[in-house]
Amino acid sequence: MVRYIHYTDPNSEEMLQELDQIPRCPGICFFMDINRSTDIKYQGGLKDWGRKLNNTFNTLLYVNHFQQHVVKGIGDEVMLFIPDEDLQKKSSNNTCFALLEDIYAALFLIKNHPDQNLYLNCKVAIHYCTEVHNITFFENANDYYGSDVDLTARLMTKSVENRIVLSEKFYVKVINDLINMGLPLDTGCLARVSERYMENFRGVPMSTAFRVIEVM
Amino acid sequence: MEINELKTDQCVIVGITGRLDTTNYSMLEKKLMDLIDNQHDKILVECSGMDYISSSGLRILLMGLKKVTALKGKFVLCGLQENIHEIFEISGFTSIFEIHPSREEALKIF
Repeated sequence: MVRYIHYTDPNSEEMLQELDQIPRCPGICFFMDINRSTDIKYQGGLKDWGRKLNNTFNTLLYVNHFQQHVVKGIGDEVMLFIPDEDLQKKSSNNTCFALLEDIYAALFLIKNHPDQNLYLNCKVAIHYCTEVHNITFFENANDYYGSDVDLTARLMTKSVENRIVLSEKFYVKVINDLINMGLPLDTGCLARVSERYMENFRGVPMSTAFRVIEVM
Repeated sequence: MEINELKTDQCVIVGITGRLDTTNYSMLEKKLMDLIDNQHDKILVECSGMDYISSSGLRILLMGLKKVTALKGKFVLCGLQENIHEIFEISGFTSIFEIHPSREEALKIF
């Protein structure tokens, strides 16, 4: 349940007490961005780019019932967050492996659709967050804040068209799912996963490990 | 999910029953690729028993269509339930697949 933080006194002791008691809300954070979404707005009218955005978001979000997890959209980028407790309640897509496979498949469908005039290719970053809280500073909004959400946004800088960037923390969760299901570690799109890369992201005090999967 | 196969004079009918998702799409992938590798280029996928499909399932159907089309064959679907048809519509599949309401009608085109 989201907690709305709003105190008019900047030095409020009550605020500090409330913040101190807010629990973490571990879960999976995704950023999905549509490529070329700026330049197509200069090339065609709303009828053209509006249709492409509609079609692309539908394939990304609605086919896999991800729309209920959209936290916010900023321009043509969306942030999704699935808390662990929500993931466990789902009847499908209820493992990190399943989520990754369906996101890969959605990008594959967009990239390989025979009518390329209807869609735009996408890029994605995924991270398993532990340093995150379900809070908002804006009334009636649901949001998630924490260093791991910011890190997911940083991972997005490593993604390009038709690429999924996954943090090592998320990758380990996926591998554990495969082990639990008794499946080979190169099942599905994991056959295409890269070696581990390290990066020092701006504002993050330690190196971050991540991998990438290029969509076929 | 259950998959069954029926070879007829006109085509191979692949029937899907249950949910087609990340936990089982590889079964369908193997079935379709085995058929295509064995030169079966007329495939009818009977979907009347399929009650859920995720994008992983759609991906396999698209791969099947592409491979069969490359062989100049036919890859046809039939019997989509309403919720499945909606997913096909949303993902732009209704314009790229030949889809028939029933098996009987689909068989007429082979």
